[in-house]
Order: sequence, then structure tokens, then C-alpha cells
Amino acid sequence: MTAPVLRVEGLSKAFPGLKALDDVSMEIRPHEVVGLVGENGAGKSTLLKVLAGLYAPDSGRILVRAEEVRLKSVAHAAENGVGMVFQEQSLLPNITVAENIMLGHEDDAIRYGVYDWPKLFGLARAQLAKVGSTIDPSAQTDSLSFGERQVVELAKVLTLEERTRHEPVILLDEPTSVLEAEEVEMVLRQIRRLRERASVVFISHRLDEVLEVADRVYVMTGGRCVAERDRASCNVAELQELMLGHELSDEYGRRAQDRPALAGEARLSLRDLSSGHHFRNISFDVRRSEILGIAGVGGSGREEVCRAIFGARDFEAGEIRLDGKPVRFADPSEAVASGVSFLPSERRTEGIIGGLSVRENMTLAHLSSIMRGPFIDRSKEKQLARRWIDRLSIKTRDAETQVGLLSGGNQQKVALTKWLIADNPKIFILDHPMRGLDVGAKAEIFGLIRDVSKAGIGIVLIADTLDELIALSDTIIVMRDGVITGRFDSRDTPPTQLQILEHMI
Amino acid sequence: MTIASTERGAGKAVLANILGRFAPIVVFAALLFLFGAIQPSFLSAYSLRVLAGESSIILVLAIGQTLVILLGGIDLSMAALASLTSVLLALALPVAGAPGLIGVLLLATLIGAAQGYIHARAQIPSFIVTLAGMGLFSGAALVIGHTTIILQGGYEAVSWLSGRILGVPRPFAFAVGLLLVLLAALRWLPLGRHIYAIGLGELGALLSGVKVARTKIAVFAVSGLCAGLAGMMFVARTHSGNPTIADSLLLPSIAAVVVGGSAITGGVGGLMRTLVGTLTIGVLRVGMAVVGLDPAYEPIAYGILIAGAVAFTIDRSKTGIVK
Repeated sequence: MTAPVLRVEGLSKAFPGLKALDDVSMEIRPHEVVGLVGENGAGKSTLLKVLAGLYAPDSGRILVRAEEVRLKSVAHAAENGVGMVFQEQSLLPNITVAENIMLGHEDDAIRYGVYDWPKLFGLARAQLAKVGSTIDPSAQTDSLSFGERQVVELAKVLTLEERTRHEPVILLDEPTSVLEAEEVEMVLRQIRRLRERASVVFISHRLDEVLEVADRVYVMTGGRCVAERDRASCNVAELQELMLGHELSDEYGRRAQDRPALAGEARLSLRDLSSGHHFRNISFDVRRSEILGIAGVGGSGREEVCRAIFGARDFEAGEIRLDGKPVRFADPSEAVASGVSFLPSERRTEGIIGGLSVRENMTLAHLSSIMRGPFIDRSKEKQLARRWIDRLSIKTRDAETQVGLLSGGNQQKVALTKWLIADNPKIFILDHPMRGLDVGAKAEIFGLIRDVSKAGIGIVLIADTLDELIALSDTIIVMRDGVITGRFDSRDTPPTQLQILEHMI
Repeated sequence: MTIASTERGAGKAVLANILGRFAPIVVFAALLFLFGAIQPSFLSAYSLRVLAGESSIILVLAIGQTLVILLGGIDLSMAALASLTSVLLALALPVAGAPGLIGVLLLATLIGAAQGYIHARAQIPSFIVTLAGMGLFSGAALVIGHTTIILQGGYEAVSWLSGRILGVPRPFAFAVGLLLVLLAALRWLPLGRHIYAIGLGELGALLSGVKVARTKIAVFAVSGLCAGLAGMMFVARTHSGNPTIADSLLLPSIAAVVVGGSAITGGVGGLMRTLVGTLTIGVLRVGMAVVGLDPAYEPIAYGILIAGAVAFTIDRSKTGIVK
């Protein structure tokens, strides 16, 4: 067996009220892709951040090429050949791809104190070539798609090769979680290519892709590393079982049998809604208890349609009717007052306010329901928060904890609660409600969405995967380039993924 | 796992929270006893009353400023608006008396609201809007007033601000009363909740249906009113209006908010912290005079205090990069 390039022994790290890493040991061998799986809050990101020099561990040892190191900073980790691509992309949007790739070590491309642009582009192009990408290094970074930017991040990390003369260890925190299907494939291809020149550790919630790409898989739960498996000797079901500690019943199994009947007038109707090149002539109805799923790739305009309904962006032509009455919301507050709810895709910047408590987040959109006269009835508010924490089994120390401190799945539950406490909700728009959640949290949110719809609320859903979309939706519409290209009644005979994909691309 | 990225922030935030909460009180007490040790008479009832009286106008300005800072903005125009108000009052009180007082305070409120409207609707940073406002109000005060205007009657409308009540200088009692009213509003009115929500995450607040623009306008209206009240207190104290009288209080009033432990980035802090901050600034001002230090050292002391306070209270996990 070859000696490991990176080895950790007995690593522990605690945060206030949380043991994030508990005696974790593992090793990464040369030219190996290692998958790291586990539920939200299992300690995966924390582990990578310790390895990247962002966090100092409380105890334990890190050995790089058999030498013990104390990684003091990201730069120090980089000197040791360890580089990380963060969950939140770290590229600067307003400069060129080349500048981003060479940022921090552009010395070779500087002459007389200014950029030698042709040289800079050349150096960047060489890095991009390593990952087989033909992205133009002179392109403005924010003109790239999310997936392309992910590839640029990979190319950037590979500059470690030149800088350290070692084969680098590359840490990837959920490189695919926010990508659309075809971009996922592109990024996975890059990870496989990396094996030739580096070792890779990557986190993903998509177990099938982990098994597709990784040579070995470590499973974490509750800050501990509970299992190590070779790809050859395990499958998705086994990994799920290891992550959850129990076998998962077929999460998407419950279908039409327990769906309520769809009847009556449309709760929400769109007629020929148009807004420049973003979307055109969008028409659909959502009835009571109906879940309408919208499929489409990035840029299909589906997010924009959802925001237009909620008053979060303008539209130029067409009509929106709510329970038969024409509405046009100038801003979200009007939509909320009319019983329209919206769960945004960007959980941490839009879905929750991290610095406010669980209680304050829950009631923010519906303070009117806990008022006594002109004042907030704080004891009523506390009761309400405690009730919902129990009802949704939200894992938090108490109602006064800052939401930013909870795990992703629990944050999402709080974001949902904000709308569930409404007195008379009519329409709930869900934009990627399961983004970045682990299997267990997904299943819970899944059930929650179904329960909500049973109360007579119409739901507009943008899901992360076609799997989820098909499993949840009563009706599916497909958008491409701003127009509707397909419609499916998904209730009795759901369409296949392929049928939907044909209309998406 | 998405939690980790916030965890380090969490640890720091908890620490910053504890420091932000208690450090200001410790600094205040330390300064008080430091000056008391150098000059024992500093702790006498008389000089504590002077301290309270000296702090009252800064406190009123700092109260308005606190609300704006909680929102994530800043109001640089408050002191200039207070000066302008003092000029307008010196002209209005002799002819219009108490109704004139109310009219001028209403005008100050409207001016504040107008700044809030421009900031919120035209999407111009509050720093810029109020910087322009500062120039505008200073200029207007000079054009209208030229120089000190002695009050020629009508003092009855503000005479209730002179003297003491239960041994406390009335201006200070008034300022603390104002503070308590707004403290209750922040705690029990939806407006208060909305201010914190916007300060901590404007986009999240907007998408929760918070009326962001309206909240901002309301907050700037209150800061305008506070500026007006500060102008009124000057008139009550000096029996006159002056176009530059409050201008030097801009820095100390912002310092009071920050030194009290409210975060300049918004959403974290509150009015009780501002009370502590104001008293700290007051102890510094009065204390340095009592122990006979050159007043020129005063701004140096503010500078050190502000930098120190911000270092303690700023939540770097939220901003990531500090500009």
C-alpha cells in the first residue's frame, strides 16, 4: 500500500454547544478520490475546513506526507499542497477568469508592476487545460454559469501544483449540490480527471454520484467517522443505512394513493405572463391541494416566474389571478398579505435571517397573528415557536438560538415554519426547498410539503432533481428559454425523467 | 453540511456578544473610578449632575442614531439638523410659542423622513444622502441665522427643560424618558422587529414581506425628530439658537452608539447600550476637564475608544471582508 499523502488521527473540534468533530481518523492516498458522506451536521464541512487550515482542531494530529503539521491558515495549508473549493464559491465576479485563477500568485505575469495580460491569460489557459476546459480566460467571471465557475475553481486550486512541487490534495465541499443535471456531469468528469494529478476529497449528498466517482468512501455521523468502504464493496442503500443508522423506507414511495382529490376553481392562474427575454406567455393553473412542478435548466426562466408571482420582480404583460381575482403585487409584502408564500432558493441570504433567533424568524412574516393591540405578545410568540419546534422536530437548543447556528435542514424547517404559521395561506411557492439537504432532512421536508398541500394550499415547486419533481408533483410543466415546452399530468402515470428532459434541453 | 461555515462565525458571534454586552459597562466603570481616583470630587453629586446634564443632548442624538445604525445605515445629518432646528426655534418661539415648537419639531421629522425616502426609494446609501443633508442643513442654518440669535421671548415653551426633577437635571430625565419609550417600541412594536431584521438581512426581510422602504422612512423620521429635540434642548439651555451649535456633537453621538456596543454593521445592539456608551463619552468629556487635561486630547480619546469598541463588536463572520 502506498503511503498516504494526508492523514488525520484523533481529530476533535467543538463549537459552543456542538461537538462538530469527535476523534476522527482517516487517510488520503496518492491519486485517490475519497468521498465523504453524512447527514447535515455530521461534521463533513468542518473536517474539510480543518484540513484546509480554516479551523484549528482542539486535539488530534494532521500529517501531510508523513510529517506532522499545524495548519495555521488557508495560505499555510496551500504551502503544504492542500487546497479547498468552498461551498460558497469564492471567485470574484467582477474580474476576468484569468485574474481569478492566478489571484495571489500572479507574480510571473507582472511586468514593471502591471499585468502582462497575454502572459496572464496564457498561464490561466494552462491551468484550465489541466481540467480540459476551454473557458476563455479573458471572460468576465460573472458571465459564466455556476457550473463553469466551479470548473474555474478547480483550475484555480490546481495552481498548487506549480507552487508546491507536490501533487496537491484537493478538498471539494459539495461541488455539485447547486448544479443542474448536465453541469453535474461536467464537474464529475473533472473530478475523475483530477485523479491523474492529485488526490481529492469531496463531499456530496448525492450518494449515487459519490459511488460513481470515489475510490473510497468515509461515512460520518454526529462528528464521528463511522465507516470506511471501498466503492466496489458497497451500494447506495448501504451508505444510506450507515448515515442514518437505520434502513430508509422508499422515500419517494407514497404516491397517488394518499393524495387528496383535486377539485374546484384554480387558486392561482397565470395567463400569458411575460417579462422581456426572461419568460414569455407563461400560462398555468394551480388548484386547491395541487402541487405543480416546474422543470427546467438554469436560465429557463422558472425562478423568474416564481419571483414575479410573489412580487419580488416585475413583469411586463399578462395576468395573475388569485382565487379568481386579478392581482399584481408591487412588492413581496403585498403578496404575503394576500396569502402567497415564497421559500427562496438561497436559504442563508434569503430564506432565513441568520442573526435573528428561531422565534423571531418564525414570526417575521406573520407578526399580525401574535399581536395584542398594537404590541407583539411575546409570551404568545414564545409558545408558538416552541409548538412548531416540537411539531417539526427542529433540532435547536431553544427558541432563542440564532438560526444561523442550526444545521441546513433545521434552518430550512424554520424557513418553512415562517410560512406555515399563516392563518389562511393560499399559494406556496417553493424554490429548491431541498437544496443542500441530506437524505433524512429531505425526506422530512418532502413529507411536510405533501402535508401542506393537503390543507388546500396550491403549491408551485421547483425541485433540485427530476426524481423529486416527479415524485412530488401532480402536474409538471417544463420550461426552456423562457417558454413552456411541455406539460404532464403526473398524478396517475408520471412521466419518465427522459420524457421531461427532452423538453428541457 | 451547510452548518459549518456559520459555526466559526457562531463562536465568534457568541464571544463578540458577551464582550459587546459587558465590556462597555466595564469601560464606563473603569473610567469613572479612574477619574474619581485622580480627583475624588469627580464622584460628588454635583459633578455627576454636570455629567448627566452634559450627556443629555448627546444622548438624544445618539438615540436617533442608534435606530439608524441598527437598520444598517448611518445618519450624518443629525447634528446639522439640530443646529438648524435651534435657529428655526429661536425665530419661531417669540412669534408662535408652543405651537411654533411643535411645528418646527414636525418639520425636523419630515426632513428626516424625506432623507429616508430618498435613501429607500432612490436606493442611495444613507451615508451619501445624509452627507448631502448635512451640507444642506448647515448651509440653510447659516443662511437663515447667520450667527447666534438670542431668544426674544417665547421661552415658556421650552422652560420645562430647565432645572431638576427628583435631583436629576431635567434635560437628562427627558432624554432617558425618550430612550425608555423607544426601547419599548423596539421591543414590542413590529417596527422594532423589522428594524433588526433589516439590519441583519435586508433581502431575507424583504422576502418575508417586511415593508423595508416604509421601515427605513419611519426610522429616519425618528432620527429627524431626535435631531429636532436636540435643537430644542440647546435653545432651552442657551436661550438662543446658533447655526453651528450642535455640529461638534456628530462624532461623539456616533461614538456613543458604537462605544456602547452596537454593531456599526447593523442589527446588533440596542438603546440600553447607547445609554452606557453616552455616559462613557460623558465621563470622558467631563472627567478630562476635571482632572485638567487639555481639551485637545478629547478627540484623540474618542478615536481610541471608537476603534477599540468596533474591534470588539463587529461581527466579521457576517461581512467576511471589511471595507
